[in-house]
Amino acid sequence: MRKNKTIDASMIYKVFGGVFFLYLFLGFMVIPCLNTLTSIFTTRDANGNMDPLAVIRFFLAGNMPTFVVNSLKLAVSLMITVNIVGISIVLLTEYFDIKGAKILRLGYMTTMIYSGVALVTGYQFLYDKDGMLTTWLVQIFPNMNKQWFSGFSAVLFTMTFACTSNHALFLRNAIRSIDYNTVEAARNLGAKPFKVLFQVVMPTLLPTLFSLTVMTFITGLCAMSAPTLLGYNSINPEIVRLAGSTVADEAFPQARAALLSVILAIFTMVLLNVLNHYENKGHYLSVSKTKAKLVKQKIQNPVANVLAHIYAYVLFIIYMTPVVMIVIFSFQNWPAIRAKSLNLSDWTLVNYFGSQDYEYLTSRGKHRIRADAISGVFANEKTVGGIRLSFLLSAVAAALACVIVVIAVNYIFKNKNKKRAVLVEGCLLFPWLLPTILICYSYRIFFNRDVWYVFGNNLYYGENVRLLIILAYTVVKLPFALRMVKAAFYAIDDELEDAARNLGASNLVTFLRVKLPIVLPSVLAVFALNFNSLFTEYDMSATFHSSYGTSYAMVIQSMCNEEGRDGMNMNASGRRCASTVFIMLLSGLILYLVYGVGARDLGDRLLANEKRKKRLERIFHGRKAGKDNEDG
Amino acid sequence: MIELKDIVVKFGDFEALHNINVHVKEGEFFTFLGPSGCGKTTTLRTITGFIEPVSGSVWMKGKDITHVPIEKRDIGIVFQSYALFPTMTVHDNIAFGLKIRKLRKKEIEEKVTTIAHKVDLSDEQLAKAVSQLSGGQQQRVAIARALVTEPDIICMDEPLSNLDAKLRVQLRNELKKMQREFGITTIYVTHDQEEALTLSDRIAVFNKGYIEQIGTPNEVYNFSGTEFVANFIGDINRLESGLVEGLHLSESKNHFIRLERVQVNRPKDENEFQAKGLIESREYYGLYIKYYIRVCGQTVKVIEKNDGISIYEAGEEVTIGIHPSDVMTYDR
Repeated sequence: MRKNKTIDASMIYKVFGGVFFLYLFLGFMVIPCLNTLTSIFTTRDANGNMDPLAVIRFFLAGNMPTFVVNSLKLAVSLMITVNIVGISIVLLTEYFDIKGAKILRLGYMTTMIYSGVALVTGYQFLYDKDGMLTTWLVQIFPNMNKQWFSGFSAVLFTMTFACTSNHALFLRNAIRSIDYNTVEAARNLGAKPFKVLFQVVMPTLLPTLFSLTVMTFITGLCAMSAPTLLGYNSINPEIVRLAGSTVADEAFPQARAALLSVILAIFTMVLLNVLNHYENKGHYLSVSKTKAKLVKQKIQNPVANVLAHIYAYVLFIIYMTPVVMIVIFSFQNWPAIRAKSLNLSDWTLVNYFGSQDYEYLTSRGKHRIRADAISGVFANEKTVGGIRLSFLLSAVAAALACVIVVIAVNYIFKNKNKKRAVLVEGCLLFPWLLPTILICYSYRIFFNRDVWYVFGNNLYYGENVRLLIILAYTVVKLPFALRMVKAAFYAIDDELEDAARNLGASNLVTFLRVKLPIVLPSVLAVFALNFNSLFTEYDMSATFHSSYGTSYAMVIQSMCNEEGRDGMNMNASGRRCASTVFIMLLSGLILYLVYGVGARDLGDRLLANEKRKKRLERIFHGRKAGKDNEDG
Repeated sequence: MIELKDIVVKFGDFEALHNINVHVKEGEFFTFLGPSGCGKTTTLRTITGFIEPVSGSVWMKGKDITHVPIEKRDIGIVFQSYALFPTMTVHDNIAFGLKIRKLRKKEIEEKVTTIAHKVDLSDEQLAKAVSQLSGGQQQRVAIARALVTEPDIICMDEPLSNLDAKLRVQLRNELKKMQREFGITTIYVTHDQEEALTLSDRIAVFNKGYIEQIGTPNEVYNFSGTEFVANFIGDINRLESGLVEGLHLSESKNHFIRLERVQVNRPKDENEFQAKGLIESREYYGLYIKYYIRVCGQTVKVIEKNDGISIYEAGEEVTIGIHPSDVMTYDR
């Protein structure tokens, strides 16, 4: 009797789970994207007749290939520059003995705490036509082109430094796993330091470098915030532009956007397949029984040593200048920001809190005051609204992705080596094959009507857009969450589950009390990292931009636009700096929680608690002893 | 106490266990010994309920438990990796099974403290995380966790295999002591013959999913039932034609002799066969010395106690003596 009951209950869970998973996969991954694909071939001519190849003809005859070529040009260039900068900063901080390597490493990693739109606008603050550095340079070289920081070179420059932090992070792990004994062996056999570098060290880094190169290429191809804000005609900004356009403005904009996003998807799929194929061929694994830790190599040639130090510190300055400037100017008032000069005696928090009037001189020579025109990040309704919305959407989506993935991975591990587990995993990795823009564009077009399986709602209408953003955020983050959570599940010893079952725990209790606590730090880390990247995310926000879906990234972008209109809202610069500082603090805190606190196991935490207790006791006893002495 | 009757286990088409029959008596320390992949762990997992046999039955205290769920079998397990829950303290690890059984808090505390003290774990260690303990202490936690629910039987799957040699010997002794104190029926899995010989009351030697022999350590060592057992347990010499002829043994059978049963330069016993040999090389082990002696066209390994006086050099001529009753003979 009892056995039947359990079978029924588990069957219900399985059926419910299966149906929900199918609903999620088909409804929010396959159908919208298929709709995009079919829309390319269902265009109609002026007479209303179906013309399946109209967009293709338009593509071949018009200027659409320019966007593809531009994206490819950016991707190829980025691949080269990111590898040059990425490899050199890793060698400078990890392999060669460069003075101040720890500080240099911190500087090179600053782009970890402010990326995307925050980084681009940060660079703009420094380098665009009214930027701090440009203004100073124009004072020195009056004939220089004020618009130098725009277009391809600006995008390449910004993205190079934006992408190297991730590149360096993975490459650093690879270089740290090199067995130093192999370096010593090569030296012992007579190889000179640079020969060792190129013939022993670099070949072991090649698999990582190959993966990073492919990923950088895809990043360049799918670039969004930098080309949009710095003015470069690549695929993604064009898709967003076309998505917002109508037939009245130009020929079949939606179908063209769909074609561009499918082209992007084809590139991504091919590249990921190449990557997968390469990874499956295996890596150069260390065969050492006992690995020796890498010892930093001194550059023996004094000239090369000096040049390496100069190069390292020039890079450091490039990385650090925007950060330092943004932090400093976030505490300056608007006249100082406008004049691009530091006024050390006039520090203010107005860019963060409170507001003040803005006094200005009109073209007719009259002084006018605009009341409360200058407001800080947390006093500006629009900015706070953006922060609140982004916070909510990112948190919900990051949590949803974690819940879905944890349940799915538990299922995958319970059904190891079975076809159904492979299928579930494949479905969850599906969004990885597609560029974000294709998913978002497909959502925007497909759900901009009443769809029966979302209870007849139009998800791109009114406040529903927020739900649409959450869905897109969740779907896009599933592959990353899956890879990370799966890695965490691998750490669970099979015998732990056996032990729990032997001690009488049910499947649910085993999951909740044994497995989940083990993977929880990783799950929370995935949540935090996903939240962090979504909070200031630009690509999806721009695609779904509407009055109900104005996320923080769009608010930051609008600050840039406001600044363009002279005198309209002069404090936007200050608020933008403060916004970037706020993002840096939040990201820094999240990364600290993930990699600092989150990396501690129970033993470390108990030790820390013990130490804290002892410290408190010492303080308490110290005070007590002091008081006793006084009393005495 | 526990009995396996005609157990057959299959993984797909592969038959991992073929008609296994074992009877473990109450309070006995019973060891499953054999090389990797011989079926010893599979047999243990069949007893504990993680594997259901294709045919045959598992009996405990006269009851058929073949289809009884794992948690209802009342069998404690000490896993190879100890399988201690890393997110719980030592106390919570030991208390886990009791909490699942929904015992009162006071009772849980009493039981945890009692068992912890019995296995030499202090109150301070109970508050620690398992990662803060040494390998030996972790083993004690695993044993305490398995014993706290007062199971009828305890199963240990190579619990010493992850430890270094010195600690392994130390814990082996502690394990035996604990087993005697608790008087609990223990089934122990190992591939280490020394561990099996020193710990067990009886040993079942496994090979390719079959049991080759069940017996006391003395029986499996000195009266190995099969050629496999003779070869697997301890070191042994296979006698070639020269010695077989000299000893007047049947040439249609295989003959073996343990290293310590070959005498060097000793007075001839009655019925003993003696032959001249040449020392090829020697290995110095401290407590004893191992000689490789060329005799009657084959190399014979011999172990001699290191008395510090009769130590032979390579190239030295010696006389070896073999008693026919020490030879173990098996059909070809």
